Amino acid sequence: MEGARVNIIFLLMPIAVLLGAGFLAAFIWGVSQGQFDDLETPAHRAILPDLLEDANEGES
Amino acid sequence: MESAFLCIHMSSGATCSIENSFSLACLHCGAPLLSGTQTQQSRFCCRGCLAVYSLLQERGLQTYYSLKGGAQSSSAPSDSVDGEFAYLNDPDFLSAYASLEGRAMSFYLEGAHCAACVWLTEKLPEFLAEVESLKLSLATGVARVQLKSAGGFSKIAEELVRLGYRPYPVHDGHAQHLQKLENRKQLIQIGIAGMVTGNIMLLAVALYAGADGSLAGAFRWTSFALFLPIVFFSAAPFYRGALASLRRRQVSIDVPIVFGLGVGTLASVFNLMIGSPHIYFDTLSTLVLLLLSTRYFLRRLNQRAWNTSELMHFLTPSRAQKQMSESGRFESVRSDILREGDLVLVLPGECFPADGIVVIGESSVNCSLLTGEALPLAVGPNSRVNAGTLNQSAPLEVRVVHSGSSTRLGKILRAMEDSRARRAPIVSFLDRVGQAFVVAVLVLTVVGFFVGLSTSWSEAVNRALAVAIIVCPCTFALATPLAFSLAMSRAARIGVLIKDSEWIERLSQVKSIYLDKTGTLTQGELQVTSWEEILPGAQMVLVALESKSSHPVARAVVQYFGASDVAVRDFSERSGHGVSGSVQGDLFEVRGWTPATEDEKSLLPSDLSTILVAIFKNGILAGVLGLTDGIRDDSKSSVEALRKMGLDIHLISGDQEHSCQSVASRLGIDSGKTLSKVGPEEKADILKCSPFSLMVGDGANDAPALAGAYVSLAVKGGMEVSVQAAGAYSSRVGIGAVPELIRIAHQTLSVIRRNLAFAVVYNLVGIGAALTGNITPLFAAILMPLSAFTVFLSTLWTPLWKGRE
Repeated sequence: MEGARVNIIFLLMPIAVLLGAGFLAAFIWGVSQGQFDDLETPAHRAILPDLLEDANEGES
Repeated sequence: MESAFLCIHMSSGATCSIENSFSLACLHCGAPLLSGTQTQQSRFCCRGCLAVYSLLQERGLQTYYSLKGGAQSSSAPSDSVDGEFAYLNDPDFLSAYASLEGRAMSFYLEGAHCAACVWLTEKLPEFLAEVESLKLSLATGVARVQLKSAGGFSKIAEELVRLGYRPYPVHDGHAQHLQKLENRKQLIQIGIAGMVTGNIMLLAVALYAGADGSLAGAFRWTSFALFLPIVFFSAAPFYRGALASLRRRQVSIDVPIVFGLGVGTLASVFNLMIGSPHIYFDTLSTLVLLLLSTRYFLRRLNQRAWNTSELMHFLTPSRAQKQMSESGRFESVRSDILREGDLVLVLPGECFPADGIVVIGESSVNCSLLTGEALPLAVGPNSRVNAGTLNQSAPLEVRVVHSGSSTRLGKILRAMEDSRARRAPIVSFLDRVGQAFVVAVLVLTVVGFFVGLSTSWSEAVNRALAVAIIVCPCTFALATPLAFSLAMSRAARIGVLIKDSEWIERLSQVKSIYLDKTGTLTQGELQVTSWEEILPGAQMVLVALESKSSHPVARAVVQYFGASDVAVRDFSERSGHGVSGSVQGDLFEVRGWTPATEDEKSLLPSDLSTILVAIFKNGILAGVLGLTDGIRDDSKSSVEALRKMGLDIHLISGDQEHSCQSVASRLGIDSGKTLSKVGPEEKADILKCSPFSLMVGDGANDAPALAGAYVSLAVKGGMEVSVQAAGAYSSRVGIGAVPELIRIAHQTLSVIRRNLAFAVVYNLVGIGAALTGNITPLFAAILMPLSAFTVFLSTLWTPLWKGRE
């Protein structure tokens, strides 16, 4: 019983680390693509469609 | 240098501070409409705003206004001169500034600051077919424009001006690119440190909770494996920093970090080998992660401040209209190629590109940036004009006498460089404490080792290790930079960009303040302060006459009284002698005036107007007008606030005595502390002799003083040389931000001192316990991050960062 529990941890540990490494790889890819170069403007750009909708409603 | 000092950046006067309480505001830029203009049919503060408004309507871009919504001020457009941007198409210029084979160029857009600006400028490709794309970064205000084919940037620039954003070309340079790559590398280092720290912590929790046997061994070895990327990759900046400081024979804060990291790692690896449970990978990786994150945060903030101020003096290539010897026509050339004897044409609103003598034309010249004089000078043939002063009313042809660095402006700039170079380096208090701390740590570790040696060899290692681990450089390496970076971002929110954190420390020690007058305390523009009508109807005639002139007095009159529909015949204007014209057979003259008799003196306005102008009907006095360089709205309250802080306030100006005294008395500054007619070099000498003083100024004449002062702040509206010279730049006109800045500085330093006090107590107790053997290295490893978090939280939870709005 004891041995079985230990064994599953030996399997889970590398899986956990691999999962973490996967996300880390995604992060590094994002950084090298320049996704983190400008943290301000994209936030404004994203809300523009909503604002536009509101503005149009306001006009009509 | 050569071209940097000739590029003069005049702020567009129309973007003024906006009060929401104004009921009538310009439909485009939201600037309050002045009394008088209300009677006019338009709802705009200027023709430029009206033009942008119509342009937006025409292009179907009205949504801009709804988007802008609550955003306070918009960019008031600036006038563009035809062909002003022709230089953008020069092959020379393209090769220096453009990339992608001349298809892409970056511009700093003055006035781009909200989501609506992003929307508006990024619409450009929709109505200019040649534009491939435009991307605006709000953080820096830089837009990158990409065209479908090479060249043709002047058209883009003109369109941007029409939209209200004045573009300044920016080097898309190598330095920026390297900076970007370095930022990315650091972010990756943080990412890796974060990932492995998280996993090591998970394993450490299991170990602390009592995992044993083969499981514990596996966990320890896994932590070790995960820790390797930290030592060999993420912590690299600390190794570089420590090495660099040792090479300079100094000890920076990186040295104890590397020392602690090294000792901790070696001891952990040793213990891992012999199967002892004392490993510190979790503590060390957390330390590295926290330090890296704080540094990155600070670095981005600094870059932002640096980028913007650097942009201000990135060459706006200064151009001049030079008469070509072959054709006799005036053509646009770079002003650094001007030589003595060249004939240049200077249009109203342009700055003189060189020192020279007027050949043809009469105009008035604003010298305030160069000399601090508020009132414009009248110039005509044979008058001398200086580079850097502004031609205000009519085109002038000028024969160049001095150009480049031999101009008056060039000499002031040299004085500024000198003054900066000769300033005694100031070793900051925090640096000295940090150095002492580092040395103490190293000494104490050795002491711990020898104290333990009296007991046993292993005890010696344990005690030295406990000291090395417990000594927490967090206050210096982490909490202090964090406090500074929070203070800098707080300052950025009130529109002040600070070049380095030492500036804040020095500002908190300031005892006296020197304020420049023209343009800083005052608006640098004439305003009507009184009007005494002697013969009825004189006012309408005065306005009718002045509305035909572009002299600053005339502009002030029209702004104050609005329009007039009186018909004027035989209008004439002579620079320095006023204007005249006839109305219904009567001859009216408007000119400068000084009272001659006692009767006339009784007409003098009670306040101290700087200049008096009178209107005469057929030679008989018909009315007296008082004008002055208006004091900014917030100057008085700011001076008051500064005095309440116990600061010694001085006024320092190159202007005439009476106008300085007039401003000083209205602001409540002691007349004994008002220094008038002070030249740029003298200003710098005064500032150098007054310790712990803050200099606030805007013009080129302030630049040497700004560079030589203990602390200095350049305010918007001046020349970029002053921005270069000062330690911080306020993008808000006037001194309104100063009291708040000083408050921020004081609060920041008190947070830092609190953290220092905590660190001293913690370290004394901790080191004492470690030396006497009361603390094991493991316990020290738990205590250390706890103390780090304490200073971290104490720094974050300070009311200061929220600020009062």
